Amino acid sequence: MGRYVIRRLLQAIPVLLGTTFLIFAIVYALPGDPLQALAGEKRVDPVFAATLREQFHLNEPLIVRYGYYLRDIVSGNFGTTFRGLPVSTIFEGKFQVTFKLSITALIFEAIIGVGLGLWAALRRGRWEDKGILAITLLMVSVPTLVSGFVLQLVLGVKLKQSTGIDFFPVAGVQDGVRSYLLPGFVLAMVSIAYLTRLTRTSLMETLRADYVRTAVAKGMPRRRVLGRHALRNSLIPMVTYLGADLGTLMGGAVITETIFNLPGIGQQLFQSVYLRENPVVVGIVTVLVLIYILANLVVDLLYAVLDPRIRYE
Amino acid sequence: MSNDTLSATAPAPQPAKPVKEKKPASLWSDAWYDLRRNPVFIIGGIMLGLLVIISAFPGLFDTVGVEPSTCSLAQARKGISAEHWFGTDNLGCDVYSRVIHGAKVSIIVGIVSAVVTGLVGGALGLLAGFFGRWVDVLLSRVAEIFFAIPSILGALLILAVIGRDNAGIASVVLALSLLAWPMILRIMRASVITAKHQDYVMAARALGAGPGRIMMRHILPNAVAPVIVVSTINLGAFIAAEAALSFLGVGIQSPQISWGLMIADARNRFLEAPLPLLFPALFLSLTILSVVMLGDAVRDALDPKLR
Amino acid sequence: MRVTKGAQIVAGTALLALAVAACGGSGDTSGSSSSAAGNAGAVRVEIAEPQHDLIPGNTTETSGAEVLNALFVGLVDYDADKKPYNRVAESIESPDSTTWTIKLKDGYKWHNGEPVVAQNFIDSWNYTANGANAQEGNYFFGSIVGYDELNPGEGKTPTATTLKGLKVVDDKTFTVELKNPFSGFPTMLGYTAFYPLPKAAFESEGKLKADFGGNPIGNGPFKVSKPWKRGTDQTISTVRNEDFKEGKAKVDAVDFKIYTDLNTAFNDLRAGNLDIMDQLPAEAISTAKSEFGDRYIEQPSSGIGYIGFPIKSGADYAKNADIRKAISMAIDRKTITETVFSGTRVPADDFISPVVSGYRQGACGEACTYDPAKAKALFDQAGGAKMGAIEIGYNGDGGHKEWIEAVANNLRTNLGAQVTPKPVEKFATILDDLGNKKWPGSFRMAWIMDYPSPENYLRPQFGSGGSSNYSGYKSKEFDDLVTQGDAAKTLDEGIKFYQQADDLVLKELPYIPVYFYQTNGAYSQHVKNVKIDPFERIDLFNVEKA
Repeated sequence: MGRYVIRRLLQAIPVLLGTTFLIFAIVYALPGDPLQALAGEKRVDPVFAATLREQFHLNEPLIVRYGYYLRDIVSGNFGTTFRGLPVSTIFEGKFQVTFKLSITALIFEAIIGVGLGLWAALRRGRWEDKGILAITLLMVSVPTLVSGFVLQLVLGVKLKQSTGIDFFPVAGVQDGVRSYLLPGFVLAMVSIAYLTRLTRTSLMETLRADYVRTAVAKGMPRRRVLGRHALRNSLIPMVTYLGADLGTLMGGAVITETIFNLPGIGQQLFQSVYLRENPVVVGIVTVLVLIYILANLVVDLLYAVLDPRIRYE
Repeated sequence: MSNDTLSATAPAPQPAKPVKEKKPASLWSDAWYDLRRNPVFIIGGIMLGLLVIISAFPGLFDTVGVEPSTCSLAQARKGISAEHWFGTDNLGCDVYSRVIHGAKVSIIVGIVSAVVTGLVGGALGLLAGFFGRWVDVLLSRVAEIFFAIPSILGALLILAVIGRDNAGIASVVLALSLLAWPMILRIMRASVITAKHQDYVMAARALGAGPGRIMMRHILPNAVAPVIVVSTINLGAFIAAEAALSFLGVGIQSPQISWGLMIADARNRFLEAPLPLLFPALFLSLTILSVVMLGDAVRDALDPKLR
Repeated sequence: MRVTKGAQIVAGTALLALAVAACGGSGDTSGSSSSAAGNAGAVRVEIAEPQHDLIPGNTTETSGAEVLNALFVGLVDYDADKKPYNRVAESIESPDSTTWTIKLKDGYKWHNGEPVVAQNFIDSWNYTANGANAQEGNYFFGSIVGYDELNPGEGKTPTATTLKGLKVVDDKTFTVELKNPFSGFPTMLGYTAFYPLPKAAFESEGKLKADFGGNPIGNGPFKVSKPWKRGTDQTISTVRNEDFKEGKAKVDAVDFKIYTDLNTAFNDLRAGNLDIMDQLPAEAISTAKSEFGDRYIEQPSSGIGYIGFPIKSGADYAKNADIRKAISMAIDRKTITETVFSGTRVPADDFISPVVSGYRQGACGEACTYDPAKAKALFDQAGGAKMGAIEIGYNGDGGHKEWIEAVANNLRTNLGAQVTPKPVEKFATILDDLGNKKWPGSFRMAWIMDYPSPENYLRPQFGSGGSSNYSGYKSKEFDDLVTQGDAAKTLDEGIKFYQQADDLVLKELPYIPVYFYQTNGAYSQHVKNVKIDPFERIDLFNVEKA
C-alpha cells in the first residue's frame, strides 16, 4: 500500500503542472481587459492601467507570464490581486472558512443523505420512499439562493425576532461552529439529493445479494445484516461520490458564501476569474486540485477496506 | 491482455451465472422485455412523452390570445386568473405560456447533457475501472484536471472559443458536459472495480471470455445503476444550471425561454411573487421524476438478481 | 465616475443576479446584539469590502469612502443643498478661477496629536497624482498644472515627482494652479481623494508606509481602534476621537461590517445585528417601508441610468436621431421605476441629476415623455422597421436584466420593433467593444458624479475626447459652452452655459436618460439622526444612540 500511495503522489506532480498551465492559459486566452473590469463602469484611467499592466506583466506573452509566475512561486511569492491583496492572505484566511463550510456540508451530506437513502431503501415502494423522493426532487429544483434565503429568514431572522435568542446567526463567521451550521446545510442540499438516491439504489442492490439473503436465512438479526453486510458493501459508490464532492463543494460555494456572508474562496475565485487575476485563480485552483487528488486517493484506499477483494494496482 | 484479444475469437462461453433458461438472448433484450411490462416504466414513459410533446409542439397547448411574448408591466406579479392560469411574472408575462414554451430548451439541455456526460463519463470510467494500470492512471488524472476547472471558467472558455454570436443550446450542452463527466467517471470506475472482483466475472474470465464481452455482458449491467442514478439527478441540475450560463452570455438568450431562466428571474422576488418560480420548478421536478422512474425501471430490468 | 458599492458586490458574485425578496413581518429588533467581533455597544454600519486599503487617494468606491469619511475630514463638506461649505478650509478663493488660494483653520489635529498643515494636503495630493503609485483617484488631479509631467503616458518616465501647480505659502496657506479656469473647483474638494495625509503616513518622501492603509492616522471624528486586515477581517472598528476640533461625536464607537450581499445585510439589520444601511436592495423596499417606518430613508442620489448608442459607428438605428427619440418616447419610465425598481429609481428627465444645482425638471421634454402613439409614428416615419433588430447590451452581473427586458418589451409592443437584449459577462466587454467600434447596438450606461457640479455630468460623457464618451457624440458648440461655464466667475453663473450645453445633448439623445437613482436606507431602533450625503456617505459625526 505504501508504494501505491507514493506512486499516486508522484502522479500528482504532472497533474498539478498540467492544471496550473491549463488554467493559466485559459485565463490568459479569455477576452476582456482585466483592468477595465477593475474600473467598473467608468473608462479605466490610462495612467492607472499602464502602471498596473507593467506591474503584473500584462503585456507579456503567455509563456513569459507563466515563467514569471513559476519564478515567483519558487521564491515563495504567490502573487497578489490587482488590488494588492497577497494570495497568501487569501490562503490563510479564506481557505479555512471554505474548508470548514465544506466539511460541515460533507457531514450533513453523509448523515442526511445516507440516512434518507437507507430509510427509502428499507421502505421501498411505501409512502416514506415516495416522500423522500419528493424531498430530493425539491432539493434539486429549488435554487440554492431561494432555499438558503428562506432558511436564513426563518431560522435566522424570524426565530431571533420571536425568541430573542440567536440560534442560527444570519451572517458572518464570528460565532464559531454555529456560524457554519445553516450554510453548511444549504450547501449540502443538492448533494444530499444525489447521495440519497445513490444510497437507496446501492443498498437495494446489496440487499438482494446472495450473501445478504444467506445471512438473513441464517437468522442473523436484521440490524446486524444491515450494518455488517449490506451497508458496508454498498458504501463504495457513496464514498466515491463524497470524495469527489469535497472539491466541488469547496470551489462551488459562491452562492452559499454570499447568502451567509462567509468570506471564502468561492467568492474570491469567482471575482478573480472575473478580473482575470491569473495568480489568484491558479493559486486557488492548484489547492483545489490537491484536495481532489488527496480525497480521491483516500477514497481509492477505502475501496480495499470496504471490499477486501479489491486490490491496489 | 494479449490472451484476451486472442480469446475474442474463441467460441462464446457459457454465461457464468445461472440465467433464466428461456433463450440465449442477451441481457439487454431481456431487460427490454421486462421493461415493457413494468408499470413504473410505463408511467414514467408517458410523463416524459408528454413533456417531449409539449416541448416539440408548444403551440398545441397555448391558451387563446396569450403568448409568451404578451407582457404588460402593469400586470406584473399577478395571481392565478382565467387569463393567466399560472399568474404573471415580474415583467407581467404569462407564466403558463412561458412554462410551455420554455420546455423545449430545458428538456433538450437536460437530456442531451445528461446523456452526453453519462456516455462519456460512463465509457471512460468503464475503461479505467476495468483495465486499471496505465489506462486508469491516464484517464483518472485527466479527470482530475477537468474536475479542477472552475465552472465559470469553463463556461467562459467555451464562450471565447465559439464566440458570443454563436452561443445557444449547443454551447450550453458543451459547457455543462465538459465539467460534469469526471464525476460520472469516478462513480462508474468505482462500480466497475467492485464488479470485476465478483465471482461471476472471475468465472467468465476463467472460461476465456474476452474483455469486451466481460465488460458489456457482465460488468456493465452490474455497474451501471449508480451512473443512472447520478445522471437522472444531473439532468435536473443541468436544467437549473443552464440559467447561470445565460448571465454570462453563453446560454440561450431572450426572447428564447427556458425553465432555468424563469426560475433564475423569479427567485429575487420569490417571497413577493412565488408563482413564477414554483411552476417552472414544478415542471422541472416532474421531468426529473419521470426520468427517475425510467431510470429505476431500467436498473431493475438490468439487475439479473431480480429475476 | 466612481464605482458604486453595487458594482463591487456584483464583481464578487456575478452569476447570482443577487437579491432575493424579503417578506414583511414585525420589526421587533431586540437589543441583544451578541457576539460580533468589534467594539461592544458600537454603532454598526453596513459596507461592502473596501477595494483597497484605507488610503484616501486610492479610494473611489463608496464603501472605503464611508470609512474614510469617519476617519478624515476634508477641506469642504456638503450641506443639505449639496453646496460645499468649508470644514478644514478657512477660505477657498480665486480671482480668475485658475489660481486658487486655500487657507486652513486652526485647531484641526491628526490622531497622533500633530496639527493639520498645508504641507499635509500637498503631500497627499502629490502622492495620488503620481502615476507610478497607481492610485485610483489619480484622475481627480488631471486639471492641476504639472499633472502631465507626473503622468507622461505609457512607456515614458515621469519628469517630476510633485505637482508644480501646488505651492505652500505658510503652514496654513497653499495655492493651487489649474490648467484651465474652473469655477466649480471648490465643489471637488470634499471628496475622499482630496483628504490630507499626515507626515507619519510616509516612510520617506513620496512613499507610504506599508501598514498605513490598515491602520490610518486621520484628522476626523473617529479613529481606527484595531488595525484592519483586508481580505481577512470582516469588521473595521473605530472609536471616537476625543480630541476632535469640532467637538466629540455623539457615539463612542462605530463598527463597519463588511457584507457581500445587501439582502444578507438587510436580514442582519432586521435581526438586530446591524444598525445602519445606506443602500437597500429593491426587493426589500416594501418590507423596509412597513417594518422601519420613519427609520426608512429615501432621497435622491447622484446616479443616472441611460440607454446609449454609438451614434457614429453603430447600426443604422443607432445613428438616427429620430429613431433614438422614438425609442425614448416608447419607454414607460414610470411603470419601470415603480414595478421593476420598486421606487428605488425615479424617471429621468434631464442629463443633469436633481442632486446638483442646474437640474431642470422636464428638461428633456417630449422626448422623455411616454407616448406610444407618437413614438410609433416617428419610428415608422424614420423607417425604423427596416433597420433590423434593435440590440440592447447589458452586463449580466449587475441586476440589469429585468429593466432591460422591460424596455425591450416596451419597444416590441409600442414600436413593433424586433429587439434583442444582449447580456455579456461584464460591463468591461461592452466598453472594450465600443472603444474598438465593434459594438453596433445600444447599451446600458450609468453615471455617478465625482463632484456635485453639472459639468461633471456633461464633459466626461459628451465632450470631445471626454474620458467616458462612449457614444461618439462630438460638438464644438457643446464643448465651447461647457468651457464657458467653467470659466464663469462663480458656479452659479456657469450654470446657464451648462444648461445650454445640456439642451444640445438632449436634442441629439446620444444617450437616453431612463432613471435617476435614489438612496434608500434604513436604520435600527438603537440609533437616530441618521443623515446621508450626496456621495452616499453617512454623517456619523452626528448620529446618536436612541
